[in-house]
Amino acid sequence: MSDIVNYHLTVNGVDYPVNAAQGRNLLSVIRTEVGLTGTKEGCDDCECGACMVLLDGQPVNSCSFLAVQAQGRAVTTVEGLQQGDEMHPLQRNILEEGGVQCGFCTPGMLLSATALLERNPSPTEEEVRIGLSGNLCRCTGYAKIVAAVQRTAAELHP
Amino acid sequence: MSTTTVPRFVRADGPDKVTGSGRYTADLTLTGTLVAKFKYAEVSHARIVRLDVSAARAIPGVFAVLTQDDVPDVRFGPFVQDRTLFARDVVRFEGEIVAAVAAIDVPTAQRALNAIVVEYAPLPVVNDIEEALASDSPLVHEGWSQYGAADVLVRERNDASFASIAKGDVERGLAEADTVVHSRYVADGCHAAPIEPRAVVAQWEGNKVTIWTTTQVPFDARAGVCETLEMPASRVRIIVPHLGGGFGGKCGFHYEAHVAALAKATKRPVRLVFSRREEFIAPDRRREGIVFDFETGVKADGTIVARKVWLAIDNGAYTADAGFFSQLAAMHALGPYQVPNALAEAHLVYTNHQPSGSVRAPTAPQTCWALESHTDEVAKAIGMDPVAFRIKNAVATGKEGPSGQVYDEIGLVDCIEAATARAGYGDDLPDDEAIGVAIGWWPSFSAASGAYVKIDGDGSGQIITGAQECGTGAVMTLRQLVADELGMQPEDFELVYQDTSAAPYDMGATGSQTLFNNGRAAIAAAGQIAEQLKQLAADMLEASPADIVLADGAASVAGTPSRSVPIAELAGIAAGGELLIGHGSGVPPTVQEVSGAMCIGDVGMTAWVAPQFSCHAVRVKLDKDTGVARVLHVSTAHDSGTIINRIGATGQVEGGVMMGIGQALTEGTRYNDEGQQRNAALLEYKLQTCADAPPIDIHFVEINTPNAGPRGAKGLAEAPNVATAAAIANAIAKIAGTPIRQLPMTAERVWETMNTEGSPA
Repeated sequence: MSDIVNYHLTVNGVDYPVNAAQGRNLLSVIRTEVGLTGTKEGCDDCECGACMVLLDGQPVNSCSFLAVQAQGRAVTTVEGLQQGDEMHPLQRNILEEGGVQCGFCTPGMLLSATALLERNPSPTEEEVRIGLSGNLCRCTGYAKIVAAVQRTAAELHP
Repeated sequence: MSTTTVPRFVRADGPDKVTGSGRYTADLTLTGTLVAKFKYAEVSHARIVRLDVSAARAIPGVFAVLTQDDVPDVRFGPFVQDRTLFARDVVRFEGEIVAAVAAIDVPTAQRALNAIVVEYAPLPVVNDIEEALASDSPLVHEGWSQYGAADVLVRERNDASFASIAKGDVERGLAEADTVVHSRYVADGCHAAPIEPRAVVAQWEGNKVTIWTTTQVPFDARAGVCETLEMPASRVRIIVPHLGGGFGGKCGFHYEAHVAALAKATKRPVRLVFSRREEFIAPDRRREGIVFDFETGVKADGTIVARKVWLAIDNGAYTADAGFFSQLAAMHALGPYQVPNALAEAHLVYTNHQPSGSVRAPTAPQTCWALESHTDEVAKAIGMDPVAFRIKNAVATGKEGPSGQVYDEIGLVDCIEAATARAGYGDDLPDDEAIGVAIGWWPSFSAASGAYVKIDGDGSGQIITGAQECGTGAVMTLRQLVADELGMQPEDFELVYQDTSAAPYDMGATGSQTLFNNGRAAIAAAGQIAEQLKQLAADMLEASPADIVLADGAASVAGTPSRSVPIAELAGIAAGGELLIGHGSGVPPTVQEVSGAMCIGDVGMTAWVAPQFSCHAVRVKLDKDTGVARVLHVSTAHDSGTIINRIGATGQVEGGVMMGIGQALTEGTRYNDEGQQRNAALLEYKLQTCADAPPIDIHFVEINTPNAGPRGAKGLAEAPNVATAAAIANAIAKIAGTPIRQLPMTAERVWETMNTEGSPA
């Protein structure tokens, strides 16, 4: 079809050639053409935050962002948080605090938390709660997720 | 092997989930996979005059379009066989499936849906629960009396299941009471709303089908495929990848057969992934709306002498697993109270709404909300403190409940005392704040369940279980139980689960039963291996098997720790001889039958094995000008027996409480005059966010429960959802000066109540 375009995306530091319809959203291109399924689709309506990725460090709902607009920008997904064999402290802490149950909101939650700690290294509990309020979790009641983010902040900026 | 410190419990599936490497059903792709989409009725009640799929079938890239004509003509349903895979002749709710398409991609599938021609002749929409019970109401199922159904169900026209519990003489009891309080409450339906939408992938090889699906109950799903596609269980394999939450919404048999039929017709793998809107309108697992009418008679000293309840549950268009809801709701309406004269009558009523089904403690939160709001009205009417009233009348060890069951050791009164004390109940609060208190209960479900355990030659093991993990951590906890049995570490064991062809039966992630039943099975399986290991060690150490102790990764002679052999070494020996393989099931605990009550439509819900109890005390702030309520603090106390996995258990309470807050304040389905949902999206149906969440204090009353699950454990996952909305309601009522009679207690409803029934003094 005529609206197929060729372009490149940089996801977790890796360059991916993409050949996809112009109107495709970033979420769908990441999950199919790029081939990374850690980013989840929960609502396709910017309401749940399961599809959260970072664009040049800023959190965006990838379901509502055109993939072509991400050209030339650094896309980070949950697969990009871990450095080598070491989990990111947020990943380790959310596990140890018990902030993971079904895990479906976890990738988006981790990316929102990453962006939060990037812009505010020592957030108050209230700031953590507001920072994560774009990510719905139905399992945990949020307490253990908030604890994990606070513990990470304390570890990184004692 | 070090056992110096107890490591924090880290769930075995956790690393997959935090790194993004874990695969959920929608993440799976097989070569040649086609896209499935459903054509829905969209109208709530109509006769199909014309259904023509020929134009859709002719579109290039469309591989199959199926209707009821293309599958075995089977009516199914666990309680009433009132449903077919696709609509036949009549559609009865907007989310009913009329046809299914398999196409090369999403746009092509959408074009095929648009090309399906359906013409309807409208039928009257049954949109109100109470009107549906009228003798002249239009019928949702004209042929209801011809349907197959469970023998115990009492059915009549739109009433799919009538149940009653009667004890003593309720009319005499009410007549002899000093005060009788009459209340009416109405709860809207709401949704499980897991963050993962449903997905199904099916692939055939020869005459066998493998189905990857987002079910909480793999064996139920398999049974549904077998029934509707007329296949033996040996040719259907259900696999559940990581499951992104369920909350009951993913119980039952859903779309596995539709997708399997599409895959068979196309000779290609087929994948279905639901949109959020489909999640709201299509599944037969919505929390049921209920209308309640209560009368309670009390003596001047606060003793309950009689309670009479009438209630009607919105069954929706098909019965699904709701057949037992009428008696279950009747139990919750009578409540965990000593009621000498009781009558509860409950109807499960067909409407042209989305069908109801098990959502986290079905019927309980909304019934508890109504009963406990009513209970505060009763206490207020006689000038008694509502907490003292509850302590006086609550069921307790050795006391008889409303259905005649006399309870063994239970901790409800301990729960009330702990939750209220920890909440600071009785302390002075500002005028716009109050603490509301509510009590709840929930059964433990005793059921058959199986597991295997094996230990390989290198000393590492596998637990192969039929149990299903939906996020609660219950399956993850099996490693701890098995490791303890064998003197090993949880990390020594891999979990193999969620595959019906690999593991023995389990009921699934439903009824809070996983650890209760599958824990028993896993311990029994490990016990067989323990016997084998002890025999091997006894032979090697020249001792009696009875004297061998398994601990710290070794088998040792009791009292002589120097005579010891590592379990891994024994496993190596066994690998060349009789293999270390255990299988377990165990005997499900049974409950004594009760004889104190007369029950019609008895589905076995009046006597509960190892019942769970809870008390929630919630501090709420109410903006009297706007009706906006904010939950400031939640204090919970639960008797769920022994707590085996504390981090998992507190996670269940926190999650259940948050779900309860949503149900209390924002979550409710609204219908238009045509029976269609008006808020089938997360923007209009508001879930609670991180910023809404209050601090939650958790206390477990751990008492020695007879006849319970492993180590005295009861269920837990559903119980925290039961009393939350009720406690919030009682706090709001204190501040508003009057109860809010509709659930959810939205700001509009609170404001309207305060401004029409009189504002507080």
